Amino acid sequence: MSSGVWLLIGAGVLALAGCWVLWTLTRLRRLERRVQLAWSALDVLLQRRAEVVAQVVDRHPAVLGERRSAQLTEAVARVRVPAGPDREAAENGLARALAQAADRLAALPPALQHEVEDTGTRVGLARSFYNDAVRDTRSLRGRRRSRWLRLHGRRPLPRYFDIQAGTAVTRSRAAQATGRDVA
Amino acid sequence: MRVGLVCPYQWDVPGGVQYHVRDLAETLRAQGHHVEVLTPAEHEESLPAEHVTFAGRTVPVPYNGSMASMQFGPISAARVRRWLREGSFDVVHVHEPVSPSVSLLVCMIAKGPIVATFHAASVRSKWLAVIGPWARPWVERISGRIAVSDFARRLQVEHLGGDAVIIPNGVHVDRFAHGPTLPGLTRGGAPLTIGFLGRYDEPRKGLAVLLEAMPAVLAAHPGTRLLIAGRGDAEELHALVGPELGPAVTLLGELSEADKAAFLRSVDVYCAPNLLGESFGVILIEAMAAGAPIVASDLDAFTRVLRGGDAGVLVRRGDPGALAAALVDVLGDPARRAALAAAGSAAARAYDWSVVSERIVAVYETVVLPGAGAVSATEAGTEALLELLPRPPRDGAPVPVDDDDPPGPPDDDPPRPGAPARPVWHRRVRR
Repeated sequence: MSSGVWLLIGAGVLALAGCWVLWTLTRLRRLERRVQLAWSALDVLLQRRAEVVAQVVDRHPAVLGERRSAQLTEAVARVRVPAGPDREAAENGLARALAQAADRLAALPPALQHEVEDTGTRVGLARSFYNDAVRDTRSLRGRRRSRWLRLHGRRPLPRYFDIQAGTAVTRSRAAQATGRDVA
Repeated sequence: MRVGLVCPYQWDVPGGVQYHVRDLAETLRAQGHHVEVLTPAEHEESLPAEHVTFAGRTVPVPYNGSMASMQFGPISAARVRRWLREGSFDVVHVHEPVSPSVSLLVCMIAKGPIVATFHAASVRSKWLAVIGPWARPWVERISGRIAVSDFARRLQVEHLGGDAVIIPNGVHVDRFAHGPTLPGLTRGGAPLTIGFLGRYDEPRKGLAVLLEAMPAVLAAHPGTRLLIAGRGDAEELHALVGPELGPAVTLLGELSEADKAAFLRSVDVYCAPNLLGESFGVILIEAMAAGAPIVASDLDAFTRVLRGGDAGVLVRRGDPGALAAALVDVLGDPARRAALAAAGSAAARAYDWSVVSERIVAVYETVVLPGAGAVSATEAGTEALLELLPRPPRDGAPVPVDDDDPPGPPDDDPPRPGAPARPVWHRRVRR
């Protein structure tokens, strides 16, 4: 074949590669945005949960009893430390304190009780959706071609947020089952 | 909240996914949400014009022994685009997105929060394995994934590598609990009746096992009748039943929704001898809601719905002897039947649409951020690539990502933003 044909083939391959790069960059950018949105939803809900628990402790210390009240207050305080060293542990601590106080919480006025449960459920949903977004991002970034070309630029790899879901809706071992680290 | 629901299967053909979308739309509308549905249909004029939009017809494709329906192409894409633009939804909820259908098209075209429900009712594992990797770039746009059962979730995890929260199918419990029975049949009266519902010519529904168990049941309780409802080839069924069982078997054929509820309210025992492949088992919940004691095979999905045997009797799948023993036992013990019916009714409550829709709305509210704006549609074709070029932010568009401040749990110590003044869940629409 003449060199002209080879040139054409080369140009074709280059064009295809260019398209692939653009396409992958678009996907990465879209995923990054998804991770960001999912995180802000989760963050708001975690703060909301702390707020609800603080309200419960504040308004109904008698229902909770002294020990549980103190436990919950401490857990909330730990969660609320701005950018504490290990937020996952702090949030898990709050979830645990809530689980331990479950029998007392059942004696709360129905509206408040529902609110506590509802925020718990929503935290579980948000956690699941955030980790999903992280998983999708990590799996695309872990692919050989996109890693070699460093298509992600300088952006750090997003991290999973491992907290207990602890609700009927989201109770699943999926995080372990599929949380394979591709990086 | 403005919600756009997308059904990938023809609206006027009976099917679990279609019913699910229809009931969800109805429930959400009754709660005061604005809901629109986009769906293919065989006959456009059969669609309720008020809130359902025609997305075209699907093309049947023979696949793996059954028919898969496909719908793809520029005309469907244009319809999707128009529907998305005119609807200006807060969230789009697609069903069964991993097939070449209008659901996948919506994933490709919509820009904004997408929620997806995986039913795994008609999508086979092999099909998913083939199409999953190709669909992935679009499936990864979905911000909230729901699976109707553990089985559906597992399929999803295996082939698409994502997780999903489990929210079961819903049932209008009250419509099954109260109403007339079939004429001439009352529960508890003579003769005793066993009900079976489903495509009786599909071997996986297990009718053959039940028929094999029938002689033993008839020996213990002479005069017992087996009522078979559902679609299928009547000739074939008569051959399968044979002359000896013939008098004890009644074929009711395909039932309307109202008749199905009446049928479930009439039978003394509902039997689900399925051999495999049930993702969920809505029919069991409907039977429980109608107060029918259940004898079912021990499929994972059935075990879960029947609470491990508390709300119904579980028998080893494909074992006529065990099935016969269980049926004889339950038919001969009215007190046990009453206890099973009570437990079943209680268990069915958890699947009522009022409960299920609340969970689904919680998912919507988790993925829709305040002030994020409505779902829009991408321009045709190459626009996806052009997204990369810098553009001035539109009205209400979120702030561009700052590379130095990555989202995610704090590794170091980025400042935590304050909570917005109106949290997401206060945006609930009230009538």
